[in-house]
Amino acid sequence: MGMNTTTFHAGSDQRANDAQWAVETHGLTKKFGPNIAVNDVELLVPRGCAFGYLGPNGAGKTTLIRVLLGLTHADSGTMSLLGYPVPRHRDRALARIGAIVDEPRFHGHLTGRENLELLATAREDAARGRIGPSLERVGLSGRANDRVAKYSMGMRQRLGVAACLIGDPQLLILDEPMNGLDPAGIHEMRDMIVSLVAEGRTVMLSSHLLDEVQRTCDAVAIVDRGKVIRQGPISELLAAASFAVEIECSEPEQARSLLQALAIGGEVEANRSGLAISLPAGTDRDILPEIARVLVEGGISLYRLQENRASLESWFLQVTSRLGASE
Amino acid sequence: MTRTLESGAPSPGSPAAMIGERPDHRGSPIPTFGMIAARFKELRKRRGLMVALVLVTIGIPTVFLVVRLILHAVAPNSYGPAGGYSVYTGLTSGVLYTFGFIVAATLGCTAGSIDFTEGMFRHLVVTGRSRLALYLARIPAGLAIIVSLVAIGFTVVCAVCVFAAPKALNYDGVQVPVGLSQRGLDSWASSHADEVICNFGFRIGPSGPSAAFASVIQNVPCNNGPGGRHVKAFGPPGAQGSGASVRPTNTQVSAVAVTIANLDYSDYSRQFTYPSDSLMVKTGLWIELEAVIGFIVGLGLGSLIGQRTVGVILMIVLEVILTPILSRARIPHLSNLQRAVVGLATAHLAPSGLPVLGGGGGGPGGGSGNPGLLPESTTVAVLVIIAWLVGWSILGAWRMMTRDA
Repeated sequence: MGMNTTTFHAGSDQRANDAQWAVETHGLTKKFGPNIAVNDVELLVPRGCAFGYLGPNGAGKTTLIRVLLGLTHADSGTMSLLGYPVPRHRDRALARIGAIVDEPRFHGHLTGRENLELLATAREDAARGRIGPSLERVGLSGRANDRVAKYSMGMRQRLGVAACLIGDPQLLILDEPMNGLDPAGIHEMRDMIVSLVAEGRTVMLSSHLLDEVQRTCDAVAIVDRGKVIRQGPISELLAAASFAVEIECSEPEQARSLLQALAIGGEVEANRSGLAISLPAGTDRDILPEIARVLVEGGISLYRLQENRASLESWFLQVTSRLGASE
Repeated sequence: MTRTLESGAPSPGSPAAMIGERPDHRGSPIPTFGMIAARFKELRKRRGLMVALVLVTIGIPTVFLVVRLILHAVAPNSYGPAGGYSVYTGLTSGVLYTFGFIVAATLGCTAGSIDFTEGMFRHLVVTGRSRLALYLARIPAGLAIIVSLVAIGFTVVCAVCVFAAPKALNYDGVQVPVGLSQRGLDSWASSHADEVICNFGFRIGPSGPSAAFASVIQNVPCNNGPGGRHVKAFGPPGAQGSGASVRPTNTQVSAVAVTIANLDYSDYSRQFTYPSDSLMVKTGLWIELEAVIGFIVGLGLGSLIGQRTVGVILMIVLEVILTPILSRARIPHLSNLQRAVVGLATAHLAPSGLPVLGGGGGGPGGGSGNPGLLPESTTVAVLVIIAWLVGWSILGAWRMMTRDA
């Protein structure tokens, strides 16, 4: 992985075990003329988790998914899905993968069930028997015999998930699965993703709904301008992010002087009720009791000390904007 | 939405082992029967397309024949029988041949492009199924539709043309019994000598008729007046009118009528009140061949350009404009290129006795005997057709295998 990425618990020496990763890419690049849509991507998606693939519009999220699934070819790099190197063994890998790419579109003149039947015939024989349960699982049983032309966007999104499920996939790749869903639908989709992961499947989803990703996923990769700039478990990534500390105390100016002398490495600003401290990424959490100790020993009355960790959204904005600024 | 699939929750493990539990052959280029059946159903459920196909292949001939049946039933003296040989040739070589090709091409272009334009192609690719198999599944599925529709339309035409055929043959305006042998026609001509002499066309060599023959011809009174005969060539100048203006004997008249009947027999023997079984079988196969070509080429073209409308327009231009021009025009240095036009090749394979409208074709004596068509041997025609079928299939399959989904 690149130097800006956070490793998973498994070290890079364990990558040799192909089956460990649901998705593994090295140096994956896809160009459209002079534009590099996927830029030397190193991606490791662990098995059995919900993995978010995040990035601003035009960052190359969908293009990467299309390359992985063989919908378009890569210009360079290697990749494997469920341990199978692709494109050499793409058919074997795709036999265990379900995917929604872009907006889910189907034959409008066919019913939802007929569309799934068409797809099931292209899969293994058992797929046909999974149509009913899949429709039931996504809540479309009652509308399965309606023509898809009459479906709402949310219903087509659900049908897309059902189309994934008829293959009984080990890996689901969902491109913006929350798009077009109402709040209740988003809630149901979130529950379904959690339940799929609980069954031992891997779900890789791209989304710009960062709050939803934070609630749903165990790990994420952040992509910007085609390049993966961070990846790892969300908790580790956020722990490594910069954070703020709010302090309510007496004598704010004196308190600020005490902390500046402590050289905590962050910016300390005094205000009417106390202090606002910005601590850089990687600051140890043990700095908090140290701050409290210094203030109390300095004769400051400490009324409140609160740690404000970054949300995924604010962290996402930090890392993507920082990259932009550095470039 | 939190219920589990009936198939149970697969536990993570070695992917090879998991896939090994349920082996399939999705990498095979050969489509399964289920894929073909599903594709057939998908095409069949396109209501607008199916209505158009049925209207053209079955509706137009049926409406035309029903109107003729009604008109003949209401006013038989004003309107001839609905069926018969001439109606048959018009409907088969005109309507079913040309429009059958166009609707087959429309179906082919639809089958070749619609998954892509409707966003279904990527769903199919993600199944891991061979793209070649996805392409090949469309061929039997589409052919099952177009071949059966053309067969139904053709059967309607054959049925009406046979069962509602005229009772007698109208030969040069004279009602003549059908299927007479040469001796039978001689006998009939002998007993209808005046009608034969006054109405039958005939051709006499450059030496001209004998004086006796010319005398009889000139002196048989015809209601259509002198010159009412259809004499196609009558010897050297001066041969006519050289006989005396005397009414010939019945024996002389009969002899001349028999002579004319003999001269016309080869033409008469190719006239039918209704098409023969052999002609109907050959015509049916020929029309189906044209429909198959239209579908396969349309499928390849639709897949190649990823659009239905443009593909259909190109196919119509090929059939209605380019083929008639290139089949008949004599363009120096380009004749071999013209021979590569599939419409010319199929016109040359037209059954004997079936005139081909529009696209050129046979006329009496069959396709290759038509002097209007650019000459082409049957072998070349067959090779051209095979090349078109194989070439467009390869192009369409190649595009489907390499296209970004």
